[in-house]
Amino acid sequence: MRFSKKTMAAMLAAAMIVSAFSACGSSSGSAGTTTAAAATSAAATTAAAAAGSSDSGAAMSDSDRIISAAQAGKVGNWGLGNEYEIFALLTKYGQENKFLSQAFDMDGFDDDSITLASAMTYNELGLVQNSYEGGYGYGDSVGIIDMNNEGVAMLEDNLFCTKAFAEANPNTVKAFISASMKGWKYACENPEEAAQIVFEAGSSVSSDHQAYMASEVKKLVETDTTGSTVTDYGKMDEAAMQQTLDLAKQYISLDDSTAAEKLQALTLDDIRSTAYWTDAMAGSFDAPEKTDVSIQLKWLPQAQFMGYFVAKAKGYYDEVGLNVTIVSGGGDIGETTAVNNGTVDFGVTWVSNLISANAGGMDLLEIAQVYQRSGLVLVYKK
Amino acid sequence: MAAKVNKKRRSAVQSVVCPIIFGIALIAAWQTGLLHILLNTDEYVLPYPTRILTIMGENGDKIMTNVWASVQVAVFGLIFGSLLGYLIAIFAATFPKFGSGGLTIVSAFNAIPIVALAPVIINWTKDVSSEAEVRSTVAKVIVVTVVSMASMSVNAYRGLTELPVFSDDLMKTYAAGKLTEFTKLRLPNSVPYIFTALRVSVPGSVISALVSEYFAEYVIGVGRQIRENILIAQYSTAWAYIVTACIIGIVMYAVLMVIETIVLKKRR
Repeated sequence: MRFSKKTMAAMLAAAMIVSAFSACGSSSGSAGTTTAAAATSAAATTAAAAAGSSDSGAAMSDSDRIISAAQAGKVGNWGLGNEYEIFALLTKYGQENKFLSQAFDMDGFDDDSITLASAMTYNELGLVQNSYEGGYGYGDSVGIIDMNNEGVAMLEDNLFCTKAFAEANPNTVKAFISASMKGWKYACENPEEAAQIVFEAGSSVSSDHQAYMASEVKKLVETDTTGSTVTDYGKMDEAAMQQTLDLAKQYISLDDSTAAEKLQALTLDDIRSTAYWTDAMAGSFDAPEKTDVSIQLKWLPQAQFMGYFVAKAKGYYDEVGLNVTIVSGGGDIGETTAVNNGTVDFGVTWVSNLISANAGGMDLLEIAQVYQRSGLVLVYKK
Repeated sequence: MAAKVNKKRRSAVQSVVCPIIFGIALIAAWQTGLLHILLNTDEYVLPYPTRILTIMGENGDKIMTNVWASVQVAVFGLIFGSLLGYLIAIFAATFPKFGSGGLTIVSAFNAIPIVALAPVIINWTKDVSSEAEVRSTVAKVIVVTVVSMASMSVNAYRGLTELPVFSDDLMKTYAAGKLTEFTKLRLPNSVPYIFTALRVSVPGSVISALVSEYFAEYVIGVGRQIRENILIAQYSTAWAYIVTACIIGIVMYAVLMVIETIVLKKRR
């Protein structure tokens, strides 16, 4: 009996030692591949540097930058439905659709583990460039690659609800659009005041950053993908919407074959209706059917959503007979789910997220397109 | 004698048949939509089992790639953590003066939420390798190591110190040295306690592997797929990965049970 206990203990110890050895073996194996990869990336960098110097010291072109970062596996994005424009860009330059998962700060960019980092013009880019609280203070020493200029722009922040809600409460929807767009107009005309309103409403970031964000959001709301000025707030530009849908069909990959088939069959009419917005802007709507409504933001309270905060603070919602609750986003339950299951009435999401939600079986309807161009850029150190 | 057999049979019925009946009833309620009414949810957030299984069937290769990534992290983390935990327990048993204090600190690691631990370790291991896949794997393995270390050290310490009555006195009368006492008494005595620890840390290692994938730089793993799909509102696919995660946990636990039965057979 005693002997067998000893044998068992010895066996167990042996098993532990063997497993430890095998683990060491595998880790040394991966270390070997690492060295090889490092050598390749070093070679790529040298080649790129050589190309640069042969160009009599001229700066690296954007295409060289994208290719070398992609080869080194140092293109960053947050993933989670934010990656499609990056995929489109990588495909455009013949690169594999892979990215490093970027945290919601810019530390990865700061410590060079990511050389081409995703940034929203109104948020992360400001943090990288500016030196206020939370900023990294890079100033002009960073450059950007703009998705709009690269022709891979997908539309972002919109306004949506479920089809059923829109059909049951058309006047509520129109009144909500009307007051919200009035809020956006005022916010874009007075970005500093709008930033202050958002800050007071419970901001997640500093007032300096809020002011920066308001000034950048204004550009996205008032300029389209081609750079022309837009004066109709919330307009759904046919060409930009179609480009977004086309890119979505190409780059959103769904494992669920039913959803994947539905995605390919989607048309613009399945994801948006211009009728509510047209009536809202013409002011032709009656008293709202439902007066207490809520809207869920895509992220934490910040100037990205200033139009809604301004409309509430300035009483525009009261004018049309609505009592609006603004619900903060940023959790792991997306705004599409919250709107779909009726937790909230309206939501702000990216068009691509609405498309994948509808492909997955939801029946959501975009009723206004607030951002007229993509706010996504890739930022690099010059 | 007959009563004893009867009792045994009844306990077998209770431990095998009842869970199976409950499981079948649950799946039936789920498939027929009864569960949706009870939980006040829709078939969108809680898709039918057939839909989930179809997706799992269609994506076998992709799911297996992610499963391997997750299982590797869980298993290596479990091995390193358990070895480390056992070494700590030996240290604590050998030097009882600082040992028990040290154990308290180690078990405090168990109280750190994985969601807090993972980002810290991922930032800390950024210089490990220039290749994201390698450094992400290292970071995830460290998270699992820390989590499995705690339960092993506390349990193994008990196994090394809570000896049968008079057994250490017996060793002393044989004039056995510390090493002999360790190899012949303490080590064998700790074996059942090792399995007690593993029963906790095996499911724990799977959970911590899946959660640490949320934060890793390199995008791979069952946990990451669950989060990705929920955020882009693909609940059916997310459920396919949730079911996969459950299977990983059950299989690893079953393997542990088999090993435990074999190792401890002669003790019963």
